[in-house]
Amino acid sequence: MSNPDTLGKEVTRRAIPVTRLVAIGWLVLALVTAGVIGWELQMRSIGLVAGDLDDSKAQWAVERRKIASGDYDDVVVIGSSRILFDTNLDVWQELTGRRPIQLALAGTNPRPMLADFAADPEFKGLLVVGVTPDIFFGDWLGIPVFAGVVDYWKDQSPSERFGNQVGVFLSRHLAFLDSSYTLTALIDQVNLPNRGEIVRPYLDVWKVWETTDDRQTFLWSGIENNKRLREHARMAWGPFDGRLMEEAPITRACEEATDAVKKIRARGGEVVFIRSPSAGLYYENELHSAPRARTWDRLLRETGAYGVNFEDYPAMQGLDVPEWSHLSRDSAKKFTRAYVGELAKDLPWLRSRLRTEVGS
Amino acid sequence: MVFNSLTFIVFFVMVLLLHRLPLSWTTKKANLLVASYVFYAAWNPPFVLLLWISTIVDWFIARGIYAARDKSAMRRRAWLLISLAANLGFLGFFKYGEFLLKNWQLLMASFGIDYQPVAWNIVLPVGISFYTFQTMSYTLDVYLGRSKPLKSFLDFSLFVTFFPQLVAGPIVRPGQLVPQFAVEKYATRDQILWGLGLMTLGLFEKIVIADGGLASTADAVFGAQGPVGFADAWLGTLAFSGQIFCDFAGYSTIAIGTGLCLGFALPNNFRMPYAALGFSDFWRRWHISLSTWLRDYLYVPLGGNRKGEARTYVNLMLTMLLGGLWHGANWTFVAWGGLHGLYLAGERWIRDRTGIHGEPVRWINRLALGLLTYALVNVTWVFFRAHTFGGAAQILQGMAGLAGDAEPVLATIYMIKVAVLITCIVATHWLMRDRDIEQVVSRTPWWLTGLACAAMLFAVIITQGSGTAFIYFQF
Repeated sequence: MSNPDTLGKEVTRRAIPVTRLVAIGWLVLALVTAGVIGWELQMRSIGLVAGDLDDSKAQWAVERRKIASGDYDDVVVIGSSRILFDTNLDVWQELTGRRPIQLALAGTNPRPMLADFAADPEFKGLLVVGVTPDIFFGDWLGIPVFAGVVDYWKDQSPSERFGNQVGVFLSRHLAFLDSSYTLTALIDQVNLPNRGEIVRPYLDVWKVWETTDDRQTFLWSGIENNKRLREHARMAWGPFDGRLMEEAPITRACEEATDAVKKIRARGGEVVFIRSPSAGLYYENELHSAPRARTWDRLLRETGAYGVNFEDYPAMQGLDVPEWSHLSRDSAKKFTRAYVGELAKDLPWLRSRLRTEVGS
Repeated sequence: MVFNSLTFIVFFVMVLLLHRLPLSWTTKKANLLVASYVFYAAWNPPFVLLLWISTIVDWFIARGIYAARDKSAMRRRAWLLISLAANLGFLGFFKYGEFLLKNWQLLMASFGIDYQPVAWNIVLPVGISFYTFQTMSYTLDVYLGRSKPLKSFLDFSLFVTFFPQLVAGPIVRPGQLVPQFAVEKYATRDQILWGLGLMTLGLFEKIVIADGGLASTADAVFGAQGPVGFADAWLGTLAFSGQIFCDFAGYSTIAIGTGLCLGFALPNNFRMPYAALGFSDFWRRWHISLSTWLRDYLYVPLGGNRKGEARTYVNLMLTMLLGGLWHGANWTFVAWGGLHGLYLAGERWIRDRTGIHGEPVRWINRLALGLLTYALVNVTWVFFRAHTFGGAAQILQGMAGLAGDAEPVLATIYMIKVAVLITCIVATHWLMRDRDIEQVVSRTPWWLTGLACAAMLFAVIITQGSGTAFIYFQF
């Protein structure tokens, strides 16, 4: 000891409880094991599956780094949840020989990502931008859980990167690991009468998606199969008050997009905009709040970019939109086939870079 | 890395296995040191340099101070000033740089000068306030003649860096931890089991109660854009009182459990603070390692209560104001410390005038004083949680019932969660006010303890957690 005269006097000592710690240990192990198995079975019975990797900033960062390292096929998808759910990466690859990097994020405005790619001198590929009118043309940047995502992949700590890998490994085997079915989320789903106009957390978005490798995302089967969940999801997208969007944010969105398209095209890249289907009250609300002439048409006119709007193509009609905002798994494949077919046919950037014949 | 992460579980298992291998004690300590650097670097690798600089500076300066003990007081003071300049310099630069710059800008503006500082994009190294105070305590102890410099650089490095308490305390003194490095020791089976039990309790506090149960309520109320009504303001503040306690005490409990699994004893940092009877009692129960640090290295050297009544009050206020500033670079933290200083001064004044120095005896008086203390502590939490004085005023207005017809903020489910959890927390503090957890567990049937542990661990697993950082990391 270095200085026995003083140091030893205040040394910390801790008591250990006088009890049967080994027996407690075995009891805890048995009860927790039984509890976790029971919980896993219960979660599987309501439709959760092992291999649903959930989505997170960390998962997004994994895909974003592929672009930074050049390990991708020059096609990137950005946008909100619609283009995320409604794009099938396998179909994309089958039709074009190119597998896109999926960077769209649920509940997130893609404009900061668009600006980020425009500012990246290395990016010379095709950017597929999903347009959900009330998000893209608004000032809202997105849900807090994905805040700061544009820079996150650069700032992510080694600990977070490793933790994500462990989390993905566990999610491949355990269905209950799902951020929408945590104890907290389940408690917040209890519907009680509230004061005033309060509707949340009950009307927060519950589980609507399922994610696999490469952030391939589908509408969760629970939404297709369970009427209560489907109707809750519809209500969660509201309120559908039809209030007309203000002009100023629409102008800002168009100006930002124009600037980004110009920069990306200047170095040989390309940008296309995709308007995915919506339905029911949600679609009716969009017709009133974000009329096509003031939003979509203006965007294409000012940017000079190519765009695919589901309203214009027979092959994109009659698709299944169970909760009014996202296509069912089967319809997502049909929609992808239809819009990628249009791009492969009419977009020179892609047509000249096809690695396979369209429809083969 | 944070305790509530999958990375930590993997890291901890590896460290535990490594620590059980038949290696020499010096090798095991070296392993622990490397593991501690990995633990810190896993958050931001370059900032390990700060730990190294802090370690090397204080190692040599303490020796310099000791070597000059019989020669020159001036030289000893010069060594100490270098240590303080280095430690507080780093802390000032990383933690208070932007704050100072903004205040300088405001000062200039008050003279009509438009000073535009460059953008401050400096990342705050996690836990810098904790390990800075820990290393300073070593040098100050040597300077004040309380201890001699250590002879083993490995022991000193491990003392500065020991991963369980590196980033959020407890802030330990050399005398509490270093002697434990001197002799080879293994954690016994019971120490490991009890350590795991404490880790479970800490994770339950952090993941289930703080993050899962209370954080959204506090966020909703303190993030409200308009006036907040009486019930919402109180429930939001109570929620934060529970959140900050479970977050911070949870961290300390995990740290203690982690240390115990490796065979080391760390001191308690909390002792049921929401059952405090008065504010001096509160500070004997809340963040004990910081309050004793401030007492021993600031309040006492300033003169404590030895230089007359007026000076005692000044010393008290100064200590609490600086204690507030330690928590964050914002005037709201200073206000939080100042309010606690006023409470302590007021309590002292009343006790001196009335001659009542002990605790009340009758249970009704104890309960009344305890609830009054808790209510007034909650008022201070408003300044701690709000980012601006405007935000704090909005909540305080609501708590005083002066918000007019404010729109409701909290859903019924949030109100129920706060009511249930805060009642449980405060009741637990009162029930365990004069007992520590080891005593309680010793007197509880083993199967009941097992059930409680299993319930907590199961709740931790199904709450899942999201690796949210502990609130005190930012300090």
